[in-house]
Amino acid sequence: MSALGWLAVAAGGWGLAVLAALAGGGRAGAIRLCCALSGLGGAAAMAGGVSALLWGNGPVVTVGPAEVAGSLQLQATSLAGVFAALLGLVAVAIAAYIPRYHEPGPGTALYLAVYNLALVASVAVLAAGGVVTFLVAWESMALLCYLLILRHPSRDAVAGGAFWFLALSETGFVLIIAAFVILATKTHSMELSVIAARAHLVSPAWRDTAFLLALAGFGFKAGLVPLHVWLPEAHPVAPADGSAFLSGLIVKLGAYGIALFAFRLLPAQPAWTGLVTMAAGALTAAIGILYAMNERDLKRFLAYSTIENIGIIVTAFGAAMIFGAYQQRALAAFLLLAGLYHVANHGTYKTLLFLETGVIEHAAGTRDMDRLGGLIHRLPRTAVISLAGTLGIAALPPLNGFVSEWLIFQGLFQGFRTGSHLLGILIVTAAATLGLTGGLAIYAFVRGYGIPFLGMPRTRPAAAATERGQPVTGPALLAVACVALAVGAPVVLLVLSRAMRTVTGVGLRPVLLPGNLTVLPAHTDFSAFSPTWLAVFLVAVTAVPLLIYLAGRPRADSVTVPVWDGGMVAFKPRMQYSAMTFSAPTRVTFDALYRPSVSVRRASDDPAGRSGPVHYESAVAPLFLRYLYRPVIRAVEWLADVVRPLQSGDVSLYLFYVFLMILLAYLVGAL
Amino acid sequence: MSGGSRARAVAASPAARAPEGDVLAARLRQRVASQFGRSLHIRTLDTGSCAVCEQEIRLLAAPHYDLHRLGFFFTPAPRHADLLLVTGPMIRAFDVAARKTYEAMPGPKLVVATGACALGGVYPADAFVYGAVGEILPVDVWIPGCPPSPLALLQGLLVAVDRLAEKVSGLTFTAGGDAEPPAREAER
Amino acid sequence: MPLWFARGLRRGIVTTRYPARPDRSAAGLPTPPAFRAGVIDRRLADRLVAVCPSRALHRDGGVLVFDVGRCTACGRCQEAAPWAVTPSGEFELAGTSPAQFVKQIGLVQEVGQ
Repeated sequence: MSALGWLAVAAGGWGLAVLAALAGGGRAGAIRLCCALSGLGGAAAMAGGVSALLWGNGPVVTVGPAEVAGSLQLQATSLAGVFAALLGLVAVAIAAYIPRYHEPGPGTALYLAVYNLALVASVAVLAAGGVVTFLVAWESMALLCYLLILRHPSRDAVAGGAFWFLALSETGFVLIIAAFVILATKTHSMELSVIAARAHLVSPAWRDTAFLLALAGFGFKAGLVPLHVWLPEAHPVAPADGSAFLSGLIVKLGAYGIALFAFRLLPAQPAWTGLVTMAAGALTAAIGILYAMNERDLKRFLAYSTIENIGIIVTAFGAAMIFGAYQQRALAAFLLLAGLYHVANHGTYKTLLFLETGVIEHAAGTRDMDRLGGLIHRLPRTAVISLAGTLGIAALPPLNGFVSEWLIFQGLFQGFRTGSHLLGILIVTAAATLGLTGGLAIYAFVRGYGIPFLGMPRTRPAAAATERGQPVTGPALLAVACVALAVGAPVVLLVLSRAMRTVTGVGLRPVLLPGNLTVLPAHTDFSAFSPTWLAVFLVAVTAVPLLIYLAGRPRADSVTVPVWDGGMVAFKPRMQYSAMTFSAPTRVTFDALYRPSVSVRRASDDPAGRSGPVHYESAVAPLFLRYLYRPVIRAVEWLADVVRPLQSGDVSLYLFYVFLMILLAYLVGAL
Repeated sequence: MSGGSRARAVAASPAARAPEGDVLAARLRQRVASQFGRSLHIRTLDTGSCAVCEQEIRLLAAPHYDLHRLGFFFTPAPRHADLLLVTGPMIRAFDVAARKTYEAMPGPKLVVATGACALGGVYPADAFVYGAVGEILPVDVWIPGCPPSPLALLQGLLVAVDRLAEKVSGLTFTAGGDAEPPAREAER
Repeated sequence: MPLWFARGLRRGIVTTRYPARPDRSAAGLPTPPAFRAGVIDRRLADRLVAVCPSRALHRDGGVLVFDVGRCTACGRCQEAAPWAVTPSGEFELAGTSPAQFVKQIGLVQEVGQ
């Protein structure tokens, strides 16, 4: 079956799931049926994505009369293949997760209907072959995600978080419409493949404008700084699988939009647009992880980490554009491949981490790191699975995050091949920024894994957490996928390089994988690395000494004694490192960005603190909300105040407006 | 975890041994000395002293006295320590910590109490101090002084590992002085 | 190697040779007292007991009991009766049991009779 056929099967499966959810009325059996159908749809989507990667762009299928602007135009493309495969994997994992996470009931049934419709809308975005289809699918996806976030509208902050998502999504949508309209009118076609073919006929000024509008518009969805503020507001208030879907897939659709414009519709962009993209990506990565360091809420922390990873992906895309402009087509294709690989990897482990956050929240009652602790004993399976996700996202060998980040770094380090000194320096600066980001990411995830899972429980609910009844299959599947994406990197790279031949016209196979297990970054004279052999080596270097020790260890008896705690009379769990103290060095080093503030209130002036509790509050300044969004919001409110007199409520005034408009219409028509 | 090894660990501490002259005790001391004689890791413990003893102890690592040439080293971790060097009159607030430090040391281990405070002088037992380190910890060697000079500390440490013999039991602290008592004012 | 180089090395070594050879700085150390047994009677003994701030001295009948372990070498007993109490000059005082520190000094009945 063709790729588009598989995607249609997926959409059909999800449509059936919607019906099952609505008809079932919230019964547990109906929910399980709905999830089974959703999972089958996900498997079909994976098949569709992989076959799109392998077999190239399919034909454009038009449903309905071609002349009507509202007809459906679908095409399965290689570029969308990675995203479609990721969509399928995420859908399967979440389908396994939902039955044990959500309570049966009519609210859940409605939620599942909305969720499966959102899956259909997402696959429609990826399979869109025409401008109108794309825009309609995009807007539906955004509205449906808004409803997803609003699962529990009566709880605190849910309405606010969902509103941030919707407001910024709509703002981006306006820019996306503008970009598409420019291209469609200048190329006189609504079909994406025709636009791509005719793009070179459009004047450079219009091309650049369209690209920048698309970068900003899709940047709202992807979470580029400073357009990212909805992410940390919306993710914590959505249910865990909703957050996983948002971070695992929806922000990737923003990256897909950028890649669509950069590599398919407008492939011959000048270097400066690539530079802007790369700079935006590098800045996003650094700022994302810096703010992640200071979050106590696990979901806000993961939301900022998503921003960081999107930054890495967009940096790779931007650098690919620059190399393309300087005729380094192999490197450009290589960086695009690396970016797409990172999309797949990040989708896998971020979804995993969000799902496990949901498990923790249900088991221990809180998402606050400083109220957790010692969960590795209470929730062992969750701890192991989360460890796989954490090692992946911290880009530690031998897992998948390391492979894709190594590829991106090796591509960026070859900036000298552009021949321009300035660009070489700028590209390496971006690489240095990503290096800073990578180091901070390890720091942040040691904190993000260590504080909740290791040590002693800091509160009673954390000490009483239990794994009974918690979902395990979905996250476990994603953990296996993480390992598979790492160890099976040669296979992944083969598939992706086939796709690159379609997207960029460059065949990477000879310089990518000469011996089938070694990776060369686009040129033979730069570096080489084998993910498979590295994994084997790491396992051996750990396992062999361990086996030698186990076989030949001395048979002496050992005595178990209490841990040496410095001689303290009573060691309380609250004496451990807290999340904020662990990240305090960053608040000192980067205080220009954070502008941290500390307020201490005592009951009296007794310096020994014996008078009663001391209230200590430490805060980080929300720079973007305060200095960018508040002024814009105030300006809009001022404008609304100025315009309000027009809405006087007087009918005769409104009739006058109608008369004015008719006059204006005649005048314009006459001109 | 076996009872045998635990018994071994306890018995290896010379403090738990029988009174002087015991053949078994002598063999045990010899065993301990042969283990520690040339390489000893010392952990200092301040149970409420005025810190002058600590200053003298610190001088041991300085070039003039240089305890490293004897194979002695300071370590902060009780788990790595062979000998616990205790100063101070053992304030009551510290007894649990002192006990925990002692128990965190793996056997065989030695305890040396040094300074007049630790030996029962200066502070009598009251609501705040026990008065002597021996109330809480099993002491093997005592080193008097206020503060004990680094030379006295070195002698005490070498006595603890049997590289020197103790001298104090042979001293009488009597003297044939040559000063005359003051003449009486009125001869009766 | 020239002799002056070796001599300089010798003289240049600051580290003490204790316990192999005695240390020259030992001469100036404050040390616990030594008591002249023939000149201390019960009254003087009681005065010495009262003046000791560290409870190192106490009188048990006709014997002055001196606990070397408790002595801080403050010198007050010597100041009170310099004809009867002198510095002992002993600083190698480590002991392996508490009994080794308790010294008994016999008292005379009455001095000056």
